[in-house]
Amino acid sequence: MILAFCCGMMTSAVAQEQKAAAQAPTAQAPQETVCFESRKGASEVTKRDLKPGWPNVKCSPKTGAALWYGDPYDGTVPMGKMPGLDKIPEGHAVVKPRSGNLAVLPLCGTACHNGVGPKFSPPTLPKSKKPVPIPTMEGLLPDAKDLQHGRGRIWCLDCHHTAKRNMLVDNYGDPVSIDQPQLLCGKCHGDKMRDWRDGIHGKRIGEFASTGKKRWFTCTECHNPHNVQDGARNKGFVQLAPEAPPQLPKGMKDAKHERVHGIAH
Amino acid sequence: MTPNESPSADSVQEKPSQCQAQPAAADPSAPGLKTSRRGFLKAGGALSMSSLMGTAALMVQSDDAAAAVEWAEHFQKNYRLMTDAEKAEARARLERRYSSEYGKKVTVDTTGPQPGMLMGYALNIRKCIGCRRCVHACVEENNQSRGERAGEKIEWIQVLRMERGEFSKDKMNQGYPEGLGIQVGGNAYTPAGQVLEGQYHYEPQAVPEKDATYMPIACMQCEKPPCVKVCPVRTTYREADGPVVIDYNWCIGCRMCMGACPYWARRINLTTPVLPKEEMNPVTHYLGNRPRMRGVVEKCHWCLQRSRQGRYPACVEVCPVGARKFGNLLDPESEVSLILARKNVFRLKAELNTFPKFFYFYD
Repeated sequence: MILAFCCGMMTSAVAQEQKAAAQAPTAQAPQETVCFESRKGASEVTKRDLKPGWPNVKCSPKTGAALWYGDPYDGTVPMGKMPGLDKIPEGHAVVKPRSGNLAVLPLCGTACHNGVGPKFSPPTLPKSKKPVPIPTMEGLLPDAKDLQHGRGRIWCLDCHHTAKRNMLVDNYGDPVSIDQPQLLCGKCHGDKMRDWRDGIHGKRIGEFASTGKKRWFTCTECHNPHNVQDGARNKGFVQLAPEAPPQLPKGMKDAKHERVHGIAH
Repeated sequence: MTPNESPSADSVQEKPSQCQAQPAAADPSAPGLKTSRRGFLKAGGALSMSSLMGTAALMVQSDDAAAAVEWAEHFQKNYRLMTDAEKAEARARLERRYSSEYGKKVTVDTTGPQPGMLMGYALNIRKCIGCRRCVHACVEENNQSRGERAGEKIEWIQVLRMERGEFSKDKMNQGYPEGLGIQVGGNAYTPAGQVLEGQYHYEPQAVPEKDATYMPIACMQCEKPPCVKVCPVRTTYREADGPVVIDYNWCIGCRMCMGACPYWARRINLTTPVLPKEEMNPVTHYLGNRPRMRGVVEKCHWCLQRSRQGRYPACVEVCPVGARKFGNLLDPESEVSLILARKNVFRLKAELNTFPKFFYFYD
């Protein structure tokens, strides 16, 4: 029974993401523009004016994606400690916490995974690494028993902390905030972790100097941890609707010429 | 970087110009009332410099503020030859003019290159998904013309979609390339796979497409820029910190640079640029994104108004996959330096010896 509860964390996180994506259009109705940043449903910005005529973000009218940042540090908090980041001054690495968007997250550890249940008190830890079907969890996350991350080699509690279900597990088995997924992901993806730390992998905005203040995009802002292989290209990034194409050459009705003639220089 | 945070004074490092006089070859010597620069230059002529300046002084004193600004612009030097005082004057003039024109406080930055800085750019070609967000971020940032009619919509970044050459079984028996393509495998009897030259106007439901790769192309900020070699009025030049910039006021719109650029990076304002007031970005740089006039060439300058203040260019900040990287090539710890040290890097059309500072890399 407990084994199956483990999926709750994962399920709720995914469910919330889907919920957030669904909410985006409805939020636009009362004169409020919300645009998504990297991938849909991961993080969002609400458009507002920092100064008259100077918005914090400009959104694409076609796809609803963030197109331009007036303030790259909007809604960010210091990233917290990470090994290998000694050269960056204190407070110059900031992240935008996602835990606020995951509405069920604070409930996970209190409502269901609180260690108090009819069958277990005091709480016991799962004995096998196989998720057990539980209707609630399966309703929230149908793929819980067929996790593609790791192609079936990992399960819920490899990432979610055993006792504190709304937190993740770092290298030493200690709980870390869900806003610091790099401490978890870097356990397996060490090469990507190194590149991310050096700014080669992933995205950072703000000041470009190597010691400048930057907002770092964490792993889960771009990758969906429960479905990393999403996307037709199997490249770890979901498919998006593209922005509008450039203007057609004068007199052209469509872009068929591109398939017939070479590119005009 | 907000309007108020932009610098209010010229850079101290700005070297005072050694040459106070205009180059003889580009000496505009006869004034023409209410004429464009082209007509003005065409007038050619006989009047001496002193009489010219006298006329200018008279015109500046006239009541018509716009006319005075225009006249002052006609008589201003090439940006590289301006003294700091002249730059400040030009800046104040432009700020006044743009602020009234666009109905908001517009700042025109004249910050010069900083010592120890050589900007460089890297793009992960494996990561690009072809979403074109960089293209539109660039337009938001850099005040390009965005009209609907022909020639009124200007975008600096082009995203080229290229079909993947593939030697798969189902493609093995495909015939000759559809339209104009390049046969990449097999022989005349059994061609295998084809690659279209590329498409700019692709519009699928969702990107990335499985059978395509995407290659964004913009100005490569060459170390040996062919556009600079051909410019007859020497209005485009390489700044000390890397980017190749244009002094729009001295551009005569001859489009020599557009022909010389091997990367199709330059655009011309054939029509009067269409820039709605509410969409105009009020934080500008003199050599960067200040509103352009009709008949001048423009191109990517790595968001000089941002990068001179230490901020990432706009395209870097919006790339959803983090394919775009920007940094100081002289700093061994910067992103671009580390990419050059670790990754597989190539430059577009390296055989032309233009030495771009824009690097494509892959993991």
